[in-house]
Amino acid sequence: MFDLIVLGTLLTFGYVFGQIAEKRHYRSILRREQQLRQLLLVPSRFPPMYVHPPQTFLVSGSVVISVDFFKVFVAGLRQLIGGRMRSYESLIDRARREAVLRMKDEARKHGASMIFNVKFEAVPLYKGQRNSVQSVEALAYGTAIIPARRPGT
Amino acid sequence: MRYENPKVPEGINVTSEHPLKEFSQLLLGVVAVTVIIVVMLTLLAERIAQHIPFQMEVEIAGQYRGKLPVRTAVTDYLQGLADRLAVSQDLPADMRITVHYVDDATVNAFATLGGNIVFFRGLLEKMPDENALAMVMAHEIAHVRHRHPVMSLGRGVVIGLALAAVANFSGNDLAGRVLGEAGLLTVLGFTRQQEEEADQTALATLARQYGHVSGADTFFMLAKTLPHAGIKEKIPSFLSTHPATENRIEKLRRLAQQNGWAMNQPTRPLPESIQVQIKHRSDHESGNVSTHFLPR
Repeated sequence: MFDLIVLGTLLTFGYVFGQIAEKRHYRSILRREQQLRQLLLVPSRFPPMYVHPPQTFLVSGSVVISVDFFKVFVAGLRQLIGGRMRSYESLIDRARREAVLRMKDEARKHGASMIFNVKFEAVPLYKGQRNSVQSVEALAYGTAIIPARRPGT
Repeated sequence: MRYENPKVPEGINVTSEHPLKEFSQLLLGVVAVTVIIVVMLTLLAERIAQHIPFQMEVEIAGQYRGKLPVRTAVTDYLQGLADRLAVSQDLPADMRITVHYVDDATVNAFATLGGNIVFFRGLLEKMPDENALAMVMAHEIAHVRHRHPVMSLGRGVVIGLALAAVANFSGNDLAGRVLGEAGLLTVLGFTRQQEEEADQTALATLARQYGHVSGADTFFMLAKTLPHAGIKEKIPSFLSTHPATENRIEKLRRLAQQNGWAMNQPTRPLPESIQVQIKHRSDHESGNVSTHFLPR
């Protein structure tokens, strides 16, 4: 009985705060993606041909996002019967997009026009304990290109 | 010419479905399956447990013989009462009731494996007359007669194993815990049923023993006045091992009425010597001199 009350409280907290955080994060992601769209992302390993050799450097962005109690709980139930882990999908999605945005931010600060050879890493963070609320780290990295200034400009 | 990455449409990687929808579907489904499995396993376990010979029960209980309380005059009195009630209840010859009396303030009595029934001083202190005590005693004997202790043992073993296995394999303590709770609540339904069964048998025993059923509801009236009664009554009965006290009283009265058993006959007092013994003990304890006897 007491267990159920504790569980219910944790679930409510997890749901309310988790949802608020997620909604807010998505709003921020959509806004910043719009702002940074002009900075091109290219998965190709080779930079485009330039007449004047551009300056290149490594940029990266990483983010750690924690699951909330509600998501863990739903995922736990989901594990019993299988299927799409919907509660974790948004988590990974947010992490990946946030990492890209941070990487783009860094590139823009240096005046880059594009990032090529973009790669992703995602790492789940937890100590292997059962019951521990897990978090996920997403890392995006790539080579930013600052175009050389054309003579005369 | 300027290039830009196109805007990726939303909703590809993330569903727009409300998270509570998935939550409720999963929870309801999983809980429903658990309840069905627990009900099936319980019925099976109880069915099998009933075929365990009573002698085996006695042997299982015998393993704990070392921890028994010393027998006193009160124990002998309770044993005598139990023997008389056992006759009135047509208890099969191989079922021997052994009463134990524990000198402790706990207001409780219970029946366990091997026909062992334990009474606490706290309960005796509150008994205004023999009839009230006989009702409790007959109730516990009825548990033994209906093989409830061994049934709950069987149930406990089977359900415990099943739920532990699920909790283990689900790889998630939280989900396992919810399943456990669902399973326990389902089991409680069975124990409530057993309590009702024992109440009914006890009432019939009382009628045969005394010719009336006065004092049958005394214990339940009393239960409502206990310190925790207020809280307990607020807990909905589906969360409880016992039916709500109010319902039990009502059912007893209805049953008495249907069978024409009188509830207003004079009751038999507890023997003087026993009253002194119980009172004497409680004087020693934390200056608690009052005897807690309820007004008749």
